[in-house]
Amino acid sequence: MNIIDDIKKAICKVQPGINEAKIVPGASLKEDLEIDSLGRVELTLALEDTFNFYLQDEELEGIVTVSDIIALVESKLKVRNNA
Amino acid sequence: MPSRVVVTGYGAITPLGLSVDETWSNLIAGINGIGPITNFDASGFNVKIAGEAKNFDPVKYMDPVTAKYSDRFTQFAVSASLQALQLAKITINEENKYDFGIIIGSGVGGLGTLEKQVEVLNARGPAKVSPYIVPMRIADNASGQTSIKTQIKGFNMSMVSSCSTGTDAIGLAYQLIKYGEYKGMLVGGADAAITRIGVAGFTQAGALTRNADTMKDSRPFDAKRDGFVIGEGAGVLFLEALEHAAARGIPILAEIAGYGATSDAYHITHPSENGDSGTKAIQLALRSINPEDVQYINAHGTSTPLNDLSETRVIKRVFGQKAYNIPVSSIKSMLGHMLGAAGAVEAIVCCKVVQEGILPPTINYEFPDTECDLDYVPNKAREKNVGTAISNSFGFGGHNSVLTIKKFTNS
Repeated sequence: MNIIDDIKKAICKVQPGINEAKIVPGASLKEDLEIDSLGRVELTLALEDTFNFYLQDEELEGIVTVSDIIALVESKLKVRNNA
Repeated sequence: MPSRVVVTGYGAITPLGLSVDETWSNLIAGINGIGPITNFDASGFNVKIAGEAKNFDPVKYMDPVTAKYSDRFTQFAVSASLQALQLAKITINEENKYDFGIIIGSGVGGLGTLEKQVEVLNARGPAKVSPYIVPMRIADNASGQTSIKTQIKGFNMSMVSSCSTGTDAIGLAYQLIKYGEYKGMLVGGADAAITRIGVAGFTQAGALTRNADTMKDSRPFDAKRDGFVIGEGAGVLFLEALEHAAARGIPILAEIAGYGATSDAYHITHPSENGDSGTKAIQLALRSINPEDVQYINAHGTSTPLNDLSETRVIKRVFGQKAYNIPVSSIKSMLGHMLGAAGAVEAIVCCKVVQEGILPPTINYEFPDTECDLDYVPNKAREKNVGTAISNSFGFGGHNSVLTIKKFTNS
């Protein structure tokens, strides 16, 4: 499973028509990808469905960029795999 | 001094076309816009037919993200609004953005969105519900998105008066422009209730025809009518103060010359038996018009036993013997009942009638009802020069709303 590709798919799902080339690790969700506060919740739901985990509100607090999402997903999957 | 209020633009998404011109040419050809329900699987439903806005693609009018997070009724409203502004050739800029307003109503709002998210709630729990449920569901999302898209920054409000919604939106805007509050307003209605819960609800209320085996069962004023066929879409008009339109040198399509609205105060779904309030609504719409001048009535004409009889009686009370000489037609025979959009589309059709001198027919008219005995323009369009028309809308909740629409003349 390629985590980055799956994250890209989730972003494309909540922002249809987005230029995929803009979805790079350094991209800001708000400024670069135009994901507003409601869109963040949609993205959370999409990530939960994609990776089959739950995200708590506090886990999302520091999320600003795509790389933050990648780190969060990797850490959630690591915890699960070690469990 | 009150302003005269004129129509300089309109747009529509209907079961007979994705523009006013396409809809109008199909209406006067007597084309039936009713077909099998495809918006959802209706195999378990008694009612299997509807007037769907076929081949509608919201992305022609908005970006994919806005389309995704807009209910279908909002997509219809924004699309019709942009058509109306394009025809009116109005440009919104820093200087005029507060001169204009928006009133776009909806009878039921984002029913499809609500239905889908209730399913998510029940199946997967509250933490899986979309955050867009509230903005997509609320009836004023249509006017809100239209404001964002057009950058009109004056009055921005929805109107909810059931099946009178579109007519009341136009009526309220007419008054706001007439008395100088705004120079122009984008007004109308939109609905997209051909959803599982929408069709189930209207069926259980006894409002829809159960004769689901034929596409001919929107048959207003016919003796065998037994309920309406649900439709969907939007109608939006750009109304302007005459002096503002004249200064722009824009072609004027028609004049709004009166509006009357009353309440039955009787029953939540049935029209009042005596028709007093319906009669009064027409009289109010004609307060500055000689009733003798009315040459066409665009009926509410839903094809329900109660509405069509009650409306016929009301027309006779207002016009007396002369009622027999006024053609009355119901385009719901071809479009189905577009709920909150109906009155707006019907007002647009009245604008076309006074411009073109053609009356759209009431199709599927086969069996005369002895109590509904007016001239319903059966089955075929008719040429007739019309100077003054009225458009009736009546809604669940006892709303009676009537517009007077005139051919525009300088005098």
